[in-house]
Order: sequence, then C-alpha cells, then structure tokens
Amino acid sequence: MDPTSRPAVVIDNGTGYGLSSIIVTEIVVAHNLYTKMGFAGNVEPCFIQPTVVAVNESFLNQSRSSSKANWLAQYSAGVMADLDFFIGDEALARSRASNTYNLTYPIRHGQVDNWDAMERYWQQCIFNYLRCDPEDHYFLLTESPLTAPESREYTGEIMFETFNVPGLYIAVNSVLALAAGYTTSKCEMTGVVVDVGDGATHVVPVADGYVIGSSIKSIPIAGKDVTLFIQQLMRERGEKIPPEDSFEAARKVKEMYCYTCSDIVKEFNKHDKEPAKYIKQWRGIRPKTGAPYSCDIGYERFLGPEVFFSPEIYSSDFTTPLPAVIDKCIQSAPIDTRRALYKNIVLSGGSTMFKDFHRRLQRDLKKIVDARVLASDARLGGEVKAQPVEVNVVSHPIQRFAVWFGGSVLASTPEFFAACHTKAEYEEYGASICRTNPWVTWYFHFHHEHQFSSLVPSVLGGKGRPHSSPENAVKFVASRLCQHLMEQMEYQIVGKKSAELNCIFSVQLT
Amino acid sequence: MILLQSHSRFLLQTLLNRVQNLEKSVELDYHWVEFDDVRYHVQVSMKNPHILLLSVSLPTPPLETVFLGGLPFGAIEAIKSAYGVIVQILDPPRDGFNLTLKLNLSKLPPDEEYRHALLVKVASVREVVLGAPLRVILKYLASRTIAPDIDRLVALVHRPNESFFLLPQQAEKVTVVFPMRFKDSIDTVLATSFLQEFVESRRTAGLNNAPPCLWSHSPPLELKGATDDALSANAGFVTFGNITRLEFLFPFLVMLLILQTRLCVMNAVIFPRHVEGKKLDRTVWNLSTFHAYVNYHVKCSEGFMHTRMRRRVESLIQALNRAKPDQEKTKKAAHTRSFKRLSLKESRTNSNS
Repeated sequence: MDPTSRPAVVIDNGTGYGLSSIIVTEIVVAHNLYTKMGFAGNVEPCFIQPTVVAVNESFLNQSRSSSKANWLAQYSAGVMADLDFFIGDEALARSRASNTYNLTYPIRHGQVDNWDAMERYWQQCIFNYLRCDPEDHYFLLTESPLTAPESREYTGEIMFETFNVPGLYIAVNSVLALAAGYTTSKCEMTGVVVDVGDGATHVVPVADGYVIGSSIKSIPIAGKDVTLFIQQLMRERGEKIPPEDSFEAARKVKEMYCYTCSDIVKEFNKHDKEPAKYIKQWRGIRPKTGAPYSCDIGYERFLGPEVFFSPEIYSSDFTTPLPAVIDKCIQSAPIDTRRALYKNIVLSGGSTMFKDFHRRLQRDLKKIVDARVLASDARLGGEVKAQPVEVNVVSHPIQRFAVWFGGSVLASTPEFFAACHTKAEYEEYGASICRTNPWVTWYFHFHHEHQFSSLVPSVLGGKGRPHSSPENAVKFVASRLCQHLMEQMEYQIVGKKSAELNCIFSVQLT
Repeated sequence: MILLQSHSRFLLQTLLNRVQNLEKSVELDYHWVEFDDVRYHVQVSMKNPHILLLSVSLPTPPLETVFLGGLPFGAIEAIKSAYGVIVQILDPPRDGFNLTLKLNLSKLPPDEEYRHALLVKVASVREVVLGAPLRVILKYLASRTIAPDIDRLVALVHRPNESFFLLPQQAEKVTVVFPMRFKDSIDTVLATSFLQEFVESRRTAGLNNAPPCLWSHSPPLELKGATDDALSANAGFVTFGNITRLEFLFPFLVMLLILQTRLCVMNAVIFPRHVEGKKLDRTVWNLSTFHAYVNYHVKCSEGFMHTRMRRRVESLIQALNRAKPDQEKTKKAAHTRSFKRLSLKESRTNSNS
C-alpha cells in the first residue's frame, strides 16, 4: 500500500534554546525541551515528552576496568548499554530513582548535540510511543532556523538509513508556526514569528515561506526570566515561601495568575483600590516537611509579563522592549516585505500565553510605527501621503504547540507529499538532498497566482490585458512597477529621497 | 529496548484522561495508525461526554484468510466476553473502518484497580479482535482436543495482504509458520541472519525447554496447498514446532540481545497449562506481532551499527590527528600558552574559514 494514503508522522523536537536553565533545575529543562509527536491531520500531538534520554552507563564503566583480553565481556557490555535506555518522563523518573542512569540531552541550543542519543530518542518515539512502522509513513521533522545544513544531512541519513522512511520533510519551526495560522486566515506565508521560549526569545521574519536569516533577532529575556523576576519580587516583599520551593512556586504563579496590563501605573492604582479583587492566594506544600503554606500574590501578577515591555525593571544589561526589537527586525528585512511582515506577527511558545499579551504587543508596536509614519509625513510637508501601515499581532489558542500544529496542517495537504524527499531520491543523490526542502510548490498554488497573475502574463504577452503594442505593454508594466515601488517607499523613512524618486519616476513615465 | 505492549499507548492515555475528567465535556476527534496498518479513530462529542466512539480498521486480509463481515472469525464473541456491558458494537461501522465500538464510560466499575485493568483491555482492542481466531484454536489445544470442522491449514492475517499459517490438526501441538517479507534489501539480509541466529541459539544451554524452531529459505512441507502468492517470502520461513512453549521463546528473543546469563531463570515447562489464562493472551499477542517484533529489532540493530560506526570514525579521526606532523602541534601549543592579538586581516580570514 502507498504510504501517502496514511497520515504523515509529525515530530517537533522542540527548540530547546535554554541551555543555561540546566543549571537552575532539571524540571525547567524538561519544560522547554518538550518533543511533540503525533500524526498529521490532528489538532493535538499524541505525546508531549521532554527531549531527554536516560542511558545506563554502568556497564561501560565496568568494562573499562577489565582487561583487554576479556573482549567478549566488553562487547556484551557495550550491547547492553546500547539497549538499556529510556526517554521522556520515564527517563526523568529513572534517573531520579537510581544512580545507574545518566541523563543526556540530545538537543542543545536548538541544535542536535548528541546523534547517538537522538537516534535512540527517535527509535523510542516511533516504536514505543507512536507504535508505528516507519516504513509506512512520511515524516515531518522540525529544526531551528539557525541549524547547519550538515545537521540536516545527518538527520536525513538516520531517517532514511536506519528507519527506512519513504519520505522526509525537514521544516523550519518558525515557518510552521506561521503555517499554524493557515486555518484562521488565508494561507499567509509572510510574517514575523515571535517565539518566546523558556530560555530565549527569537524574532524570526519569514517571507514566502523562507526565513530571512540575516534579520533574526534574539533577546536574552524569556519565560525563565519572568519566573526569576516573580521569585525576586515575592522574596523582597517577604512572603513566607520556603526557599527550596520558591522557583517552582514562582513558575506556577506565572502560569496560573499572570496577565499583561495596558498601563503599569493604572494597574498599580487598581490593585491598591480593590485589593480583594486583584490579590490572589497561593497555597503550596513544603517539599521537605510536607507542611502546607500560603502566601499572597499581588503586583507580580502583571509585573512578571511586563519584563518583556519594560525590561529595565528586571535587568540593567538589556533594556530594549520586545516591540522595539520586533520593529528593528522588520526594518532590517528587505523593503518589499516589510508591510506584509507588520501585517502578520505570529506568537509562538509557552510564554506568549499571558492574557492580553498580543493586544499589548500590537498596541506598542503600532505606536512605534505610527510615530515613524507621522514623522515622515511631517518631513515631506504633506506632499506625499503615506498609506497607514497595518500592524496585526495574531494569536491563536494553540500557541503552546503552534509549531506542531503548523506541521500537522502542512503535512495533511496533498502538496506535502510532493515536496518531500523520497527514499528513491535519497538513494540516487545522497544525503545532500536533505539540505533544502522545497516550500514553493504548494505555496505558489495558493498565493502567488492571485497576486501577480495579472502582472506576469502581461509581460510575456500572455493572456493578461491585451496590449496594442509592445510599447504599451512596457508602459503598463512600468507603471505597475512604479506603483509597487511607491508603496514600498512608505516603509522607509527616506524623506526627501522618496519625493525625488517620485519625480524621477514620473519623468520616466511621461 | 522494548517488548511491544498489547495496549495502544495513546489510546490508554486518552481513555484514562477521559475517565479522570468525565464531567468535563470536550470535543475529541483523533485518528492514528499503528504498525501493520491498524488504524484507530476516537471520537467524543460535547453533548455526550461519557460516550466514546472507537473505530478500528484492520489490515486488508489476503485471499486465503477467512473474514466474516469484515472481522476475523470469533471476533464478535471475543469482544463481548472481554468487555461486557461497557461496550456496544455499532452496525454498520464507521465509514472506512471494520469495527466501531461505543464505549459507555459511566458504566465503568467503581473499583480503581479493576477499572484500570478494563481500560487496558479496551486499549488492547487490536489483540482482542485480530487475535480472536488464534485464541479459539489455542483454547482447543489447552483442552487437548481438535477443533471440529477446521481446515488442515489455517491462514491468519497479520499484515496488510500477508498472513501466517497454523496447522491445528494435532491434539498435542500446533505448528505455526511465518513467511517473512521485508521491503528493503538491507533489512532482508539483517532479518535473515537474525532469524538464523535465533534458531541457532535455541541449542544453547538453558533453552532446552523452548519450542523447536526452524528456519528455511523454501516453504516448509506443511504449507503444501497454500497459494504461491502467500508463499513468496524474501527472508525465509520461520516454523515454530510446538506452540505450547512459544511464550518461552519471546523472553528469549529479548534475552538474546540483553542478558544471556538470565536465561537460566526459565524453568521446566509443564505441558498444556501454558495456554491457559493470562499466558494464553500473551502467546496470542506474541504470535500475532512476530513480524513487527523482528522488524523492530532489525531497525534497532541498524541503529546500533550506526552508533558503532560513528564511534569508529571518531576514533579514526583521533588517530589521524595524532599522526599529524609535529610542526603543527608545537605551533598549537604556542598559541595556547598566551593569547595572541590577531590583526584585522587574520581575524577576517579566521571568520571566513
């Protein structure tokens, strides 16, 4: 039977940017290194598991001490170490229960660090969790936009050689986060993905399904910092939280009670006027003695997420607010994409789930953009009126696994199977085919035909508008181009330059 | 390393999740596929949160197997006896599926342990349905009788368009033959050697009690009368001589890879009692997923080989690095002793490299 008749397997290995959090606590690591796996066409992944492998290395240590002559023992020790391992929650439980298992994190900083562990992880994902035959399904895997092509080759090698998958597609996770909005708005593959994970925040501009690598911006403020800030606030106020539980408590408070406010001063006043309405109670249990305790949660409810908008309240090292970073990112992108990028800003990652986060982000960003447009209008003295720039921050309820959902949507379209690299192709050309994955085939179907079909055929003298002569055709195209360029001009505040260009074009046209 | 569990992990997770928040109404619509092309579909509607519709589609049966109304013989009875009142079989099943079960979660027994056991049983619906004919035959074996009006050669589906064969016509034993097929040429080679090794190691000490097991390239004589199509196997045929002891073979299969020393744990076998009760379930499951099991191990060993190849390459690279001329080494040592301020030109070439 044809594997294309079965749903593709989608595995999102999680970006796991937050290496630094390994130092803080193990639990946090588990929280940002989640792997989501499931079958395409579904709304939710089947399993969400921490990306971690527990390996029993006690055999290996034994063999090291033994003499070289005992090669058989050494060999079987190696075999045993290779077979005795666990992944995900089981791995965490095993390593806590006994000392024989060592935890390995196959992915660090969003890159695969340990291929042996990764291969084992996939093996368990496929056979033990999804329980599917890898020969029966196409696979869609994700990677971070900064992954090296060599690492894609390795991935392809493992998938095709070990698991014999019939087809493989390696997608960039930010692109998938964009595709997640496919159902809500019309397949818009241009936009900015704001990925706020636990360890780091990335702002990734995507144009037509391709990442603009040079414009990716990263911020050192992320979910973990919100937690740390809440912890700090509660500690300074003197809430009676046992120190060993304070990080966990702060994390829970963040997840359950935090929201984004529109104005800090007003919010402070609200809290002071009606403390009964705004101040919540947190009840916890001391991990050591098991005795219950309780404390108040006050201002940290809105001050936590405020870290993204006024970072100066948290750290003095980094003080650029998130909206300003997004604006900078879009301004550094190619000029013809900027308007579309402002129009489609997509949130992804667990730390964007705060109430009203997208509204606040949209408002602040709109302020920056409007100020710039106003300034340029003033400079031009009212000669050219710029079209207002539409700023739109999109949020949808499945932000937490938006990447997986995007993959699920993508992989359930019939075009997906055509875009995959097949096993036959792999055998013909080698692992290098995995370096790139075509995105365009299905995308052009949806999008470009509508937008540019009127323009393109007319240049070719096709079935566009009938032109009496080639001169007319050229004139028409030129005018279209001019319009296009003029539209783009408004993005860039070039003041006089724009007016000058306008003159040049009008001269050329006449 | 895993032993394939008879319950679907995801189905069990979904069921437990549902039972825990029974009053919370959720919309659930999920479909997934397991090995050997068994498809599942689960549906819960907002209106009736305690009703769960579970549809299962089985692998397409080859011509030689007997299917009654889209199900293997004995399946309906097996479902009824396994689940009792909580399950109702819907007729006709959902479009594109062989079987649709209507689970009434409010009828689950209140006893925690028993409820869990029942949910596990529901999650292993695949074993109940696909293993039904096998169970019928093995039950006759347990009572040392021969089933009336049964063919000399019984074909049972285990993969899409593929079946394995049973010879149930002796009171004392049942012979099972698996034609092994693999798509990939490398897999075929690995599986062949794996199976040969498997047969070979039955002769080692501690495995005297395991059932006789044979491997051959050509179809064994027992299969006379089967169609040519059913007999085209590229990785040979595995024959288990005496099914009553087969369950001892499967731990062995794992042991072979994990712990050879632990094999002595297996004691003497007492004859027909081993296809009774729980052991019957395990034997049924092990037999009907034999192919999936071998397939999994083939993939595992491929992964294992890759790991070792990677290690070997690393060690070779290390050796190469050691063999580099000394000149470079001393240069490197000088570098590490103190920081060297790079000129602009050098740093540029460095960043390019």
